[in-house]
Amino acid sequence: MKGRFVSAVLAMVMTVGLVAGCGSSGQESWKVTCPWAPSGVAAMVSQKAAEKSTTYSENITLVAEAIKGDAATVNTWVADTEANEKEMVFAGEGLFSITSILDPAKMQFTYEDFAYVENLYSSIFVLSAQADMNIKNIADLEAFAASGEEISVAVNGATSSEAFLAAALFGDMGAGENLKLVAYASAAEAAQAVAKGETKFAVSHQSQILETYQQGGVSIVCAFDEKPLENGPFAGTEGVGEKGYPYFRNRCFIMARQGTDAAKVEELKKLYDDILADEEVATWLQDTMLLEVDTMSEDQVKEHIESVKAIVNEYKDVVTQ
Amino acid sequence: MGKLSNAIDERTDRIGERLKDKEIRIPINLTAGIVCFLFAVAVLLIMPQQVQVSEKDVVNGRAFPTLLMTVMILCSVLLVAKEVYKIIRKQPLEWKTIQILTEVKALVIFGILFFTYFLSKVTGLFLVGAIFCSLGFLVYFRCKKPVYYVITLILAVGIWAVFRFVLNVGF
Amino acid sequence: MMKYLVPAAGLLFTLQNILWINAGVFIGSIFAAIPGLSVILCVILFLPVTYSMPAIPGMMFLLGIYCAGGYGGSVSAILINTPGTPHAAATMLDGHPLSQKGRTKAALKIALYASAFGGVFSALMLLFLGPQVARVAAQLGTPEYFMVCVFGLTIIAGVSGKSIVRGLLSACLGLFIACIGSDPMTSYDRFTFGNSRLYLGMDLAVCLIGLFALVEVLAKAEKSRGALRLDTAKMEDDGKITKEEYKRMARPVFLSSLIGVLVGIIPGTGASEASWFSYSQAKNMSKNPEEFGHGSVEGIAAAESANNAVTGATLIPLLTLGIPGDGTVAIMLSALMINGLNPGLSLFTTDGDIMYAIMLGLILVNLFMLLQGKFLTSLFAKVVSIPQEILTPIIVIFCMAGAYSVNQNYFDVGVALVFAVLAWFLRKLDLPAVPILLGMVLGSMTETNFRRALLISNGSPTIFFSSVFCWIFVALIVFAVAMILRGKWKEREKAKQ
Repeated sequence: MKGRFVSAVLAMVMTVGLVAGCGSSGQESWKVTCPWAPSGVAAMVSQKAAEKSTTYSENITLVAEAIKGDAATVNTWVADTEANEKEMVFAGEGLFSITSILDPAKMQFTYEDFAYVENLYSSIFVLSAQADMNIKNIADLEAFAASGEEISVAVNGATSSEAFLAAALFGDMGAGENLKLVAYASAAEAAQAVAKGETKFAVSHQSQILETYQQGGVSIVCAFDEKPLENGPFAGTEGVGEKGYPYFRNRCFIMARQGTDAAKVEELKKLYDDILADEEVATWLQDTMLLEVDTMSEDQVKEHIESVKAIVNEYKDVVTQ
Repeated sequence: MGKLSNAIDERTDRIGERLKDKEIRIPINLTAGIVCFLFAVAVLLIMPQQVQVSEKDVVNGRAFPTLLMTVMILCSVLLVAKEVYKIIRKQPLEWKTIQILTEVKALVIFGILFFTYFLSKVTGLFLVGAIFCSLGFLVYFRCKKPVYYVITLILAVGIWAVFRFVLNVGF
Repeated sequence: MMKYLVPAAGLLFTLQNILWINAGVFIGSIFAAIPGLSVILCVILFLPVTYSMPAIPGMMFLLGIYCAGGYGGSVSAILINTPGTPHAAATMLDGHPLSQKGRTKAALKIALYASAFGGVFSALMLLFLGPQVARVAAQLGTPEYFMVCVFGLTIIAGVSGKSIVRGLLSACLGLFIACIGSDPMTSYDRFTFGNSRLYLGMDLAVCLIGLFALVEVLAKAEKSRGALRLDTAKMEDDGKITKEEYKRMARPVFLSSLIGVLVGIIPGTGASEASWFSYSQAKNMSKNPEEFGHGSVEGIAAAESANNAVTGATLIPLLTLGIPGDGTVAIMLSALMINGLNPGLSLFTTDGDIMYAIMLGLILVNLFMLLQGKFLTSLFAKVVSIPQEILTPIIVIFCMAGAYSVNQNYFDVGVALVFAVLAWFLRKLDLPAVPILLGMVLGSMTETNFRRALLISNGSPTIFFSSVFCWIFVALIVFAVAMILRGKWKEREKAKQ
């Protein structure tokens, strides 16, 4: 009996040792937490970066993880993570510019809690309309807005970036009072809503409206950018910035915990830059995800946050009225 | 060790004997109706503080919970009214017997569950909670076989190891 | 289609694909069988494995996990009265009672065969009718979704036990719990009491652990030590299913597979809804409705064939329209996109061979699930003979580890404990727990679609009768209510006799 007991304990110790040994290696694993849906654009890009990390670094492996929860996930991350821990997190203008103004109690962190690493991509949202409305450009849209008809727009989330883009565009056209934002649970649902005739318009990522567009259910009216779209299936679509309307691109920044060794942050930034310079990654981002590689300096990031904040402050009444 | 465990067993047996025949009888429909009624009223009372609404909403965020609580109140009233009718007509009510010994045992099991959670949370080590849980239940079931202790502990450590190192769960 | 099938078969039938299918099926079965470890968590964890793979083996691996997950949840539902996944809750109602009658192997086998049938049925629907069905499903909008939910709520009557009023009380509680968190239409918080962990609402998998698994552990208090010992010595179980039973199961399995496909193609609805719809339908149409809840073979077969029939059906909107039907499929979408494939009808012409290989592969996945399941059934059945002293703490450790791993924090473990206590008190008050689960499954969808429909129509309720599909659902609701009333009338007549 005693012998069996000793053997069992030994087996247990060996097993644990073996399993624990499997977990450690010469490489540093940096976990990158994405606080949005695992199937979302940011999570996919993070996964792609993780896949490529071993190609561009001998000592850093990126591990992508998605724990949906938005501010709640980032709150936990900030509370549980200390400087120099091998952890990074995604944060975007949704948190720093929208939630911080509309619902500050939800955020138990500020920008100062993070050390900026890199921005991976920018997404130019597009406004689509029901195909039979024949609204194909900004001039048509302005005429429609001026008619005083109700403007129903499908968006992913009631106070999302998409909601503010719609509010800023129609608010600036002087049609904010006629705007009706219809919130859907996902970007894909919002994109479908316009094709089903539930709303007249939808604001979505380009990749999410592509299939509906190809089926002929919607027309693409404009893009939320300065210039017309240059690449992809919607190339040539007018940018609202050309006509002086407010806009912003959707960006998601990779952050480490504030106080993390600056040299390590720089090394991580370089790794991301190398991954984004990879031709296959750039092509994938452009052709499949319909996004743009968009590396940024910290000053540019702060500028982006402030410019979105200005839009949110100006149009928050249109969104939350 | 054996003597201690026997002494504990004897003591718990004595407590068990004392509690064995103690029970409470409750009129089940009446109690369920009143509890649900009070719950629904409480939810309706806290609704204004807990649910912010906007004037623009066609159907606001309070509408659905209010509807649910109204249905709950109606169902509760129905349950209670049926019982009151029975009392008036002097018909027998539905009673449920709650055995005190069962409740005390459930409380002990809950204690094991709670301390498993508490120890894991406080120490930040799930393994500590898992070991406590294994030992707690083995003692609760008055297990005297050392081999069961060994097997359970190996399994507890094994489960933790799989979650920690294979599934990368950080606890 | 035929021009793609031969090259697709060539792409599919490789040793590498077969191995990945089997690996996925095995991992999916085990994961889903453990309470708290959901299929979606499994897919998330193993997604990085597919990064370095080409599209087909990667998808085969994930489909293996997905389909086997549909079946695996039934294992713990049958063995320990705890659904491994939310969609196996309906299976639990008859699976565990049948196991307690000493027919554990038979219950597991019924679940396996029904799952495999449902899976193959939906795979064939995907292969032959995918694009056509998807176009029809794409026309269903917010009011139709609401009507589906109302139809779903009629099931409460079937799972309320002896009193519909008590079932309604529990269902209201479940629907209310689904309201906790950010308001889906406005993003304002509701009933969070300032706790940031509650912004996202209650996770169904975590609540399930408390409501069904941990409360079963508390229920050990109701048994004497002698009775607990009896649990460990199960009677002889040859696992035989009689010809008569096969005959009885044929109709519910076929109808439930059809229901599973219909539910699965509607994005946003999933295996949980399908299994409850089918269970309710099977009970209403059965010649032996009184057996339901006491180990009915029809009940197990209906629930399991339906929840696996959803697997192929959710791929219909994904592959044809690029719309993911549920969370797990949404992750598969990302697996496809990482490989440079943007799903949609156009992909059927540009990469038709890959698309058809995936669809054919789904049939193969279900066949391998059947083969593996036949071996695993005997192994799983042995769980009931594990002594309670060992099994109980192991279940608790799995439950707590599972609850923790959902969002990687102890708050969820605390929530599971709170739900265990809630379920315990509900037992004391004779309030059934299953309608709570049903309320939680349907709650958010019901409310969101109700409010969104009225927002779209500017408050006019006529929107709920604005399409042919709405009227079809109205007819189904009327039919379901009529069946409930008929059942109650029959019960009363029997009682009188």
